[in-house]
Amino acid sequence: MILPSQTTPKAAASLPFYDSDLCVKCNICTAACPVSGVTALFPGPKAVGPQMGRYWQPAHPAVDPATTWCSGCGVCSRVCPHGVPVAEMNIVSKAELRPGPRLSLRDWGLSRPAEVARWMRPILPLARIALRSAVLRRLADGLFGLAARAPLPDVAERPLSRTRADLVRREPAPRAADPRPRVAFFHGCSTEDYEPWLGQMTVQVLENLGVEVEIPPQVCCGLPLQSNHAFDAARQRARRNLAGLLPWVERGIPIVGTSTSCTLALKHDYRAVLGLAGAEVDSVSEGTYDLFEYLVHVLLPGLPDLRLQAVPLHVLYHAPCQLRSHRIGSPALQILRAIPDLRLEVSQTECCGVAGTYGLKSERYQVAVEVGRELFVQARTAGVDRVVTDSETCRWWIEGHSGIPSIHPVELLAAALGLPDLRRYGMSRP
Amino acid sequence: MSKSLLVIGAGLAGLFASVLAARRGASVRLIAEGRGGLALSHGCIDLWRDGELRFSLARLDRSHPLRLAGWPALESAFAAFLEIMHEARLPFAGSLDRVWRLPTALGATHITSGAPVSLASGTLDDPEPISIGNLPALRDFSAELVAAGLRSQGVDVRGIVELELPQPRSPRDLYPQEIADLFDDPDYRAQVVSAWKPKLRGVRRLGLPAVLGRDRALEAFASLEQDLGVAPFEIPTLPPSVPGLRIERALRRLAVEAGVDLIEGPSVRGEVDGRSAGKRVSGAVGATAGGPRGYRAHAVLLATGGALHGGWLSFANGEVQEAVFGLPIETSEDREDWAAPTLYQEQPFARLGLRVDARFRPCDRRGRPFFENLFAAGGLVAGSDRTFEGSRQGIDLASAFAAVEAALS
Repeated sequence: MILPSQTTPKAAASLPFYDSDLCVKCNICTAACPVSGVTALFPGPKAVGPQMGRYWQPAHPAVDPATTWCSGCGVCSRVCPHGVPVAEMNIVSKAELRPGPRLSLRDWGLSRPAEVARWMRPILPLARIALRSAVLRRLADGLFGLAARAPLPDVAERPLSRTRADLVRREPAPRAADPRPRVAFFHGCSTEDYEPWLGQMTVQVLENLGVEVEIPPQVCCGLPLQSNHAFDAARQRARRNLAGLLPWVERGIPIVGTSTSCTLALKHDYRAVLGLAGAEVDSVSEGTYDLFEYLVHVLLPGLPDLRLQAVPLHVLYHAPCQLRSHRIGSPALQILRAIPDLRLEVSQTECCGVAGTYGLKSERYQVAVEVGRELFVQARTAGVDRVVTDSETCRWWIEGHSGIPSIHPVELLAAALGLPDLRRYGMSRP
Repeated sequence: MSKSLLVIGAGLAGLFASVLAARRGASVRLIAEGRGGLALSHGCIDLWRDGELRFSLARLDRSHPLRLAGWPALESAFAAFLEIMHEARLPFAGSLDRVWRLPTALGATHITSGAPVSLASGTLDDPEPISIGNLPALRDFSAELVAAGLRSQGVDVRGIVELELPQPRSPRDLYPQEIADLFDDPDYRAQVVSAWKPKLRGVRRLGLPAVLGRDRALEAFASLEQDLGVAPFEIPTLPPSVPGLRIERALRRLAVEAGVDLIEGPSVRGEVDGRSAGKRVSGAVGATAGGPRGYRAHAVLLATGGALHGGWLSFANGEVQEAVFGLPIETSEDREDWAAPTLYQEQPFARLGLRVDARFRPCDRRGRPFFENLFAAGGLVAGSDRTFEGSRQGIDLASAFAAVEAALS
């Protein structure tokens, strides 16, 4: 195989060298891959991963240029019966295909959601007009490659950490004999800057269940940087987060998040993709929980009767690909099934298509929509009131393409717990 | 309170057991390290190589999984499976008292007891001459190979028909499941019919690779049969095999609809109940992307597969252990004895696995179960070379059925 000329080598040289020998070429990953299933431009995870991996040497990475079509959804690794880290290999390979040392303006922006929010906030009214203008979106599509029809989130006027400054700590609050369980909330950029009301609601739910919540020092998890080939910048974010979260983890306090991609980065990507190693990264990985994983496994094992109120809605639950990569199933489903009058359907679609920032790119947009089509059609034909899914990028994407309001499962739990609404905090769900 | 069952393994045995148990009101959790092997399956239910199981059963060794399950369990399991497939719009032709002789992708004969209607239509007992369709876009299927093989067995193969798929030019070969996806779409099928029909004059029975639809296979097959004006049938391909994938997708969907909590990805380690003096298991712990997570249940069913599927492991130091609870696997000391002198005969390694009691509980040589509430089904159960016997799916269904009965009783 001749190496494609546009590769800039070495990004992966420091990363774990993945052995392809475990792969028996059974093609179970190919059958499950949502991207190769909709475009012949992607030969499938096995072909570009373990199959190419046989030619891979640390100093001479062998990368099929078609690997850029991989969305990084992770299904290939999860379905592999032999434990081959197919997705991780392909994500590392993709970084080899980075066109140059500098990211394009679009990828630079997509990989820095916190910075983008910070800059937009002072000019928010103007920025909103721009984002809602079809003409300007088309212009941005042509100029920068930001897909005009991809739904984008709105920046919130006040970040969560300002509204709930009372919860922000540099270290766990010292306390004597308080028996209450407590957690450190990893809000991630989306809950901090785009959906602070969701963070507020989560805090309310946890407090209602008797949990004390603290907000530890944190920055963006780094996943958007990793997905846009900026591994060094992603590692920098990772190290800051590890340092910020460690004091909680050392005291045995769980790190809990509502964003399944951020928690996956803490649990998995820091080690398996960014190649960080050591006791710190291991203990943060083991101490991190998705919100519902925490509820089901730590706070409420065996699911006691929570006296949930009826929520008479017909919903379609979709487990985001990133949540599935936690390898914990869909813990939210166990709680949703306990809500009276909630009519629940479950999606079998592997991925909604957006896969973080993949679907927002003009050149990937159509493929991403095709990946999610089965889900959008299912939601529309079933005539559900809401789509329920744990990851924010999936919610925005699914709502935009199915036309059905898409919510986080904690919103249903909050309703079932009869929690006071958010207006008390000067917040509202858009 | 309903009984809880933890099923480990998502092949045919694990998925079928999960659906059965959940439909009987149990609270079921299914954990699987990977997706399970149905993508590698021809999608038929093989029971016995010559179909004469009713007569052979009593002659089998007492430890053979089919003998242990017994005829009534086999009958119930087979009927339950066919009913579930019917409900999933994947109707089967199947019987415990007759066999179907079906063509394979190599032109050999596959003897089976149950086949999806689209495959069963290819029965070689039908004297009507056949033609084989070649799809150039699918390089993993050679009509010429099928025809040559069948002719050498005396089957009347009239010819090979080159059938181009109407589709945009593809930069690569297509996989079977990708073509199957196309066939789910009625508009695509209409294009196929107009492109193929002129080439099928004089053809009565047409063998095609098994790519005629994935989630809407019944609809696809029925409409092609009607609109092409020939009697089509499907021949299973190399993996990913669409007939196996259809069953997998249907069983997964029905399992989730029945309330099964499906956990995909973690490898698992079994847990013994510390308060039971080693008599009971309490569940298993999954190695997730983050920390270990425990899953407790009243009973655990191992459906992790046999020698080639990870259900038991052979270590360099000579130890041979079941993979989840570390139970002993009885083997010959000398590994030379594991394999037969030639490939196409019964293989001793294939018979290795867990010895089970009449209730499908792993047990020691004297028949004493290791744990009261641990069960095993499918290829992990010792005592049969399923490939040689042609008994693979029959054992999966019968042992899963019997183990679920025992676990929930």
